[in-house]
Amino acid sequence: MTKYQIGDRVTVKDATSLFHTRTQAFVRGHTGVVVEYRPEWVIPEDEAWDRLENGRTEPFYVVRFLQTDLWDPYTGFDVDTLETECSERWLAPAKDEA
Amino acid sequence: MSSPAKQSGASKNTPSPSTSFNTLTSLLADIAPAIHEVQDSPYTLSNARYAALRHVLHDVGGQPDLPVEYKEKVEEAWEMNTYVTCECLGWRGAWNSEMRRRAENDLGATLYFGLPYYARWITVATKTLIDKGLITPDELSAKIDAVRTRLSEERS
Repeated sequence: MTKYQIGDRVTVKDATSLFHTRTQAFVRGHTGVVVEYRPEWVIPEDEAWDRLENGRTEPFYVVRFLQTDLWDPYTGFDVDTLETECSERWLAPAKDEA
Repeated sequence: MSSPAKQSGASKNTPSPSTSFNTLTSLLADIAPAIHEVQDSPYTLSNARYAALRHVLHDVGGQPDLPVEYKEKVEEAWEMNTYVTCECLGWRGAWNSEMRRRAENDLGATLYFGLPYYARWITVATKTLIDKGLITPDELSAKIDAVRTRLSEERS
């Protein structure tokens, strides 16, 4: 069972990630929409330290952002989007949820 | 004991100590990290400075930088050999791609940005094999020296 559903608005946490990360700085603190599920997989925090066999697994999500939300100024079209993948621990429900 | 003829021959090809010192100095200046405030293990650190320092090296997306020239470049043999070697090490269970990326960060900024892409791969492959006790640093160094000697003989 996944914590987030397709269409949920989520905000990427801006947590400290020493030595290694798969959560790009340019999406941290930004809000996007869950558009796809990825299979459960070992989180990068374990996989990067040789724990592929016994590491913690989590659902991964494809999150879609508006480019205009990520970059200031963004010179492309307003409808342009960017998708990236996050493990569940890096996401929080968006606060702007009405 | 070397003959006078040999000595004069050597002085022709070998730079004088002052020339080689200057060469070494400029070479080091060229590759020194672009730090505009001296970082000599300071006693204190501001939160802002720490925030910049803890940023993970490989997370370059969106970081401020200068434009880079776009080049159409095909892979060379050594690059593909490196790729295949690293994939085989993964297939045989020595490491995985995340370990490689993390190990590349561990190189530090000078080596991370100073080495060509696949040179970064092969460097951390060797380091991981040493870390896991699969090879020893002296074995690796001896092999590197053997190749260096062979290549310098082939080129001379």
